[in-house]
Amino acid sequence: MTHAKTPYVVDARYLEAPEPFVKTMEMLDHLKEGEKMLLLLFREPHPLYKVLKQNGHAYETELLPDGTFEVLISR
Amino acid sequence: MQALMSFESAPPYAAPLRFFLTAPLFAVLAGLLIAFEGPDIFVSRWMPAVLAVTHLLTLGFMLQMMLGALIQILPVVAGANLPRPLLLATIVHAGLTSGALLLVGGFYFGLPVLLNSAAVLLALTVLVFLAAALQALIGVPSTSPTIRGLKLAMFSLLIVIALGVVMALAMANGWPLPLPVLADLHAGWGLGGWAGVLLAAIAYVVVPMFQLTPGYPARPSWWYPLTMLALLLIWSGAVLVDAPGLVRLSQALAALAGLAFAGLTLRLQSKRRRARADVTYRYWQLGLVGSIFALFMLLTAAIWPAAGELQGWTMIFGILLIGGGFLPLIIGMLYKIVPFLTWLHLQNLGQAKVPAPNMSKILPSLDMERQMKAYTAAILLLLVAAVWPEWLSRVAGLSFALASGWLWLNLFGAIRRYAEYKVDIEAKLAVILAAR
Repeated sequence: MTHAKTPYVVDARYLEAPEPFVKTMEMLDHLKEGEKMLLLLFREPHPLYKVLKQNGHAYETELLPDGTFEVLISR
Repeated sequence: MQALMSFESAPPYAAPLRFFLTAPLFAVLAGLLIAFEGPDIFVSRWMPAVLAVTHLLTLGFMLQMMLGALIQILPVVAGANLPRPLLLATIVHAGLTSGALLLVGGFYFGLPVLLNSAAVLLALTVLVFLAAALQALIGVPSTSPTIRGLKLAMFSLLIVIALGVVMALAMANGWPLPLPVLADLHAGWGLGGWAGVLLAAIAYVVVPMFQLTPGYPARPSWWYPLTMLALLLIWSGAVLVDAPGLVRLSQALAALAGLAFAGLTLRLQSKRRRARADVTYRYWQLGLVGSIFALFMLLTAAIWPAAGELQGWTMIFGILLIGGGFLPLIIGMLYKIVPFLTWLHLQNLGQAKVPAPNMSKILPSLDMERQMKAYTAAILLLLVAAVWPEWLSRVAGLSFALASGWLWLNLFGAIRRYAEYKVDIEAKLAVILAAR
């Protein structure tokens, strides 16, 4: 799945915990410096935010009208 | 990876569990009190025993569960870290448990000294919780409808407790206050502003997460908490200026807002991607249907006040909204939270070297499903008893006590298995580490 913001997308909207977290960390591992990935979820992933901050990843979240949170994460 | 999975800020296992294990005992007490009082309890909502039962359920069960769960999940759903969670849990649990018992005793035995001390204790306890929550949430921007909902719900809790304290002191000391009008307002802030908005804020996160449904659409999610608060403020203003028409209008609109939320949640559930209907899903169906019936009754009585005077009307409304609405929604969530929390703590104990047992071994589905059937039967019996008190009130009370006791047994079972697995995991871990 690709997206206008980045070709690297984890659509975790119908996945059970901890899959969204695991898939996001796996995709981050595969990204090169300067690349970005997008995580789609129906909630704001606060525990993931904490890990992203600890590991020095910048992120930006947007809430879409259908209730999807788009989290754009930089490698 | 394992270190990342454990939320370092999460409070210890004992912090929320004490609340979860205490709350069902209050429901048992409520059932026993109904059984003991028999048919008389269904005569009027102002009977001391009815006030006692109502507060056993709202303070003893609901608030106990809600504050315990919030201490656990505020970091997860809002990124807000409570200062010293274990100390906070200890203080709030002790204050809430003893305060609820004092208040219920004060109502039942009509003892001013109990009502006075309950008012002071409960006010202090809730203020301690709110101060900690405020400290945790103050720096957190409202980036999601959930966070805005949590903040507005906590504001409502302040109003609920203020109204409750004033009324308890008025009852104890004979202050001349219009208690029936204030009691309605207190219930409106408690069930609509605190419990209702809190439930919605948490539902936005857990319904899609636990039941694999689509998300709540953003616009109504932002507006629901604000609308509810605005209607309650109008209702309060109307009480102050003595405008009964405006009171009824705000009640009717609050009922419509609640109906819209419950209807939307049912629609999302119908689109879920989890094939099997598990116990959380079924408990939520019960809770949503119970709330919808209750809110229709509220709407009817607001439009046509004579309906509210009908024999049994208020009792049926209360049984549907609290026993058939909020409690099932809370128990449904609890049946996901407790096994997950137990699993998470066991998983962390194993340090990625010894796996934790499957969640279904911690709290078996069959135990939860049977308890849910018993609970549903108890609610149906209570509803029938409200219409024909002579026949069934004692049986209904006993069955409610039984179903609530069963909930306690199920939760206790999970904690007992936690202790057993803990010993097992620690032993295996010691062997692995010794072999290095």
